[in-house]
Amino acid sequence: MSWELFIYFAAGALLFWIMGAIAALGNRHRALSIFCTTAGLLVFAFFIAALWHSLERPPLRTMGETRLWYSFFLPIAGLLTYLRWNYKWILSFTTLLSAVFIMVNIKNPDIHNKVLMPALQSPWFAPHVIIYMFSYAILGAATLGALYYLVKEKKVSNPERLMQMTDELVYAGTACITLGMLMGAIWAKEAWGHYWSWDPKETWAAATWLGYLLYIHYRLKKNASHELSMILLLVAFMLLQICWYGVNYLPSAQQSVHTYS
Amino acid sequence: MKSRSRKIWEQPWGYAEGFIVATGILLTGLMLQLTVGNIEPALFASPVNVIMGASLTAGLIAVYFLLPQNKATKWLSGVYAAVPAIVLLLLLCMILGLTPQLPLSTGRMQASDNLFSRLGWVQMTTSWSFILLCFYILIILELTLLRRTRKKQSWRDIGFYLNHLGLFVALLAGLSGSADLKRFTMSVQEGQVEWRGTGQSGETIELPVAIQLDTFRIEEYPPRLVVVENMTGKILPAAHPESYHFVEIGKTARLAGVSLEIMDYLPHAAILRDSTFVNVVPMMMEGAGTAIKVKAAKPGMEQPVEGWVSSGNYLFPHSTLPVDEFTSIVMPPQEVKKYKSFVTLYSEKGTNLQAVIEVNKPLSVEEWMIYQYSYDNSKGKYSDVSIFELVRDPWLKVVYTGIFMLLAGALFLFIAGPKKRTA
Repeated sequence: MSWELFIYFAAGALLFWIMGAIAALGNRHRALSIFCTTAGLLVFAFFIAALWHSLERPPLRTMGETRLWYSFFLPIAGLLTYLRWNYKWILSFTTLLSAVFIMVNIKNPDIHNKVLMPALQSPWFAPHVIIYMFSYAILGAATLGALYYLVKEKKVSNPERLMQMTDELVYAGTACITLGMLMGAIWAKEAWGHYWSWDPKETWAAATWLGYLLYIHYRLKKNASHELSMILLLVAFMLLQICWYGVNYLPSAQQSVHTYS
Repeated sequence: MKSRSRKIWEQPWGYAEGFIVATGILLTGLMLQLTVGNIEPALFASPVNVIMGASLTAGLIAVYFLLPQNKATKWLSGVYAAVPAIVLLLLLCMILGLTPQLPLSTGRMQASDNLFSRLGWVQMTTSWSFILLCFYILIILELTLLRRTRKKQSWRDIGFYLNHLGLFVALLAGLSGSADLKRFTMSVQEGQVEWRGTGQSGETIELPVAIQLDTFRIEEYPPRLVVVENMTGKILPAAHPESYHFVEIGKTARLAGVSLEIMDYLPHAAILRDSTFVNVVPMMMEGAGTAIKVKAAKPGMEQPVEGWVSSGNYLFPHSTLPVDEFTSIVMPPQEVKKYKSFVTLYSEKGTNLQAVIEVNKPLSVEEWMIYQYSYDNSKGKYSDVSIFELVRDPWLKVVYTGIFMLLAGALFLFIAGPKKRTA
C-alpha cells in the first residue's frame, strides 16, 4: 500500500463518518450511526494495516504517521462517547477534527520510507506511540466537550451530566497518558541509559500530565467551578499539542533526541 | 476563598493559602539559588541522600501521628495544598521546556549572565526552586497517604494508594538517587581492551569493568536516490520531498518529474574521479563505497543522461549526476539499520563473558548496564571503534517499584473511572 492511495481511503472513511455523524444528529438513527462510523473505521484501519505491511515497520515514526493514527482514534473516541453518553453532537465534532488532521496529512505528507532508526527498533515502540495517540483522541473528545460547554454555557441543559462525561474521558485519557509515559520511561532506560532525562519532549509530556492532574484534583472539591474546570481542560490540551508537535518548533528542541521525521 | 468573610490565614485554609505557601517555597528556592548557586548533586551522594530521604519519610510520619488534629497538616494533605503546588511545578516545567538547558557539567561561571541563569533556570533540574518544589509535593503526597489510612477503606482506595504511593516512591528515589547515578562513555578500538571511562564533566576514570571489542558491525539500509535543486541543494519536489529506494538493477521509477532507470549497481566500489571523468570499478576492500549507475530523463530532453551516482565516504568523494542545469541526481548517505558490538567483558570481581551489545539491547553486568552508544561516524560502516555508555544506578529497582505501582494505578483508573457524584 503506498501513501498515494491515502486520499481515496481517507475520502471513503470520511464519507462514512459524515453519514454516521448526520445519522447521530437525528435522534432515531442510532444503529445507522454506529454502523456507518464503524464502517469508516474499518476502511481506515485497512489502510493503516496495509501501510504497516508495505513499510515493513510500524507506521508510527513520523509526525504524519502519528496524525494518521490520531485521525483514526478520534472517531473511536467519539463513538465510545456516543455509545456511553448518547450526546448526538460528539460524532460531528470528532469527525470534523479527524477531517482536519486528514487534510493536514494530504496537504503535507512526510517522506514515508522503510527506514527505522536503531533507537526505534524496540518492542516498546508500537505500544508507546499507539497508547499516546489513543489518549490524545480521548482527551480531544473531552476538549470538544469543554468547548461545547464554554460556548453554550448558559444553554447547556444538564451541566452536571456534561461534567461527568468530561470527568470520565479525562480519567480514561490520563490513565492512558500515564501508561504511555511510563512505558516510554522503561524504554528510555533500555535505549538511552536513563528512564528520565528531561528531554524537551519528556518535559512537555510531564507538563501535559500535570495539566490533567490539575483538572482531576481541582474537580475533587464539590464547590469546583464548572467554567474553570473546562478552562483547565483547554489549557491541558494546549500543553498536549506542544508535547505532540509544537515542541519541534521550540528553541529547546535543538537538544531533543525525540525527532524522527 | 470558600466564604467571602474568611480572611487570609484564617482557618480553614483554602487555595489562597496554598498559593502563598507554594510561592513562598519557590521564592526560598530562588533566594538560595542567588546566594549559593546551583545544587551540586555529588554533595547528596549516598549515604547523605539515604539519611535525608529516610528522615523526611519518618519525620512526617512522626509529625502526623503526634499532631493528628493539627490544622496545617490536615490542610497539607488535601487538594487545597496540592493544586497550587502542581500549578507552580507546571510553570517551572514550562520554563524548562521553553529554555534551552545547559549540560550539568557547565559551571556557574561559564553560563552567560542573565536573569534565567541567575535564577538557575538554565539548569532547571538541579536548581533550588525546582528541587524544593518537588520535595514540597513529596511532603503533600506522604501526608495525603497517611491521612487516607485513617479513613474508612473502600475498594476504590486501591487506585488511590497505587497512584500516590507509586508517585511518592518513584519521585523520592528518582530525586535522591540522581546523586548516585554514574554515567561514563567508553571508546574501544577493535581488538583492544579498555577500562577507562569518560565522565559527564570530561574526567577519565578507571572503571571496575573492562570491554574488549572483538568485532563491530554496521548494517545499512539500501541506498536511496533523490533529485535535488542545484541552486539550493533542496530535495525535490520542495513541497513534499521524495526519494527512491534501490531494489535491483533494471527497475525504473519516476522521481520529482525525472524518469530513472537503474543500469548498474556496485555495493563495493572504488569511485575515481577527476575534473571531467568519473570511473567506477569494483573494489572488495575496506573503504569501498556504494555506487548506482542511472539513466535519467526529463520530458523535453533530447537525450537521457547516464552516469554513476555515489554518496561517497571517508575514502571517496561523492558523485552526482546532473540532469540539466537546474537539477541533479544525488545519493544521500545510507541510513544505518543496526549496529552492534561483539565483546568480551572482564570485571574486577572476576566476571568474564562474551556478549553482543546493540541499541535497545544493553548488557547488564554486576551493577553496570552497558549500552551501545555510538561509533566512529567519520568512517561510517567501516568504523573500527565502538563507543559504549556505562551506567550505574543503585536506585533503579526502587524507582521501578514506584513506576510499576503507577502503571497498575493507571490501569485501575482506566477501569474504575471517576467516583460517581450524586447530583
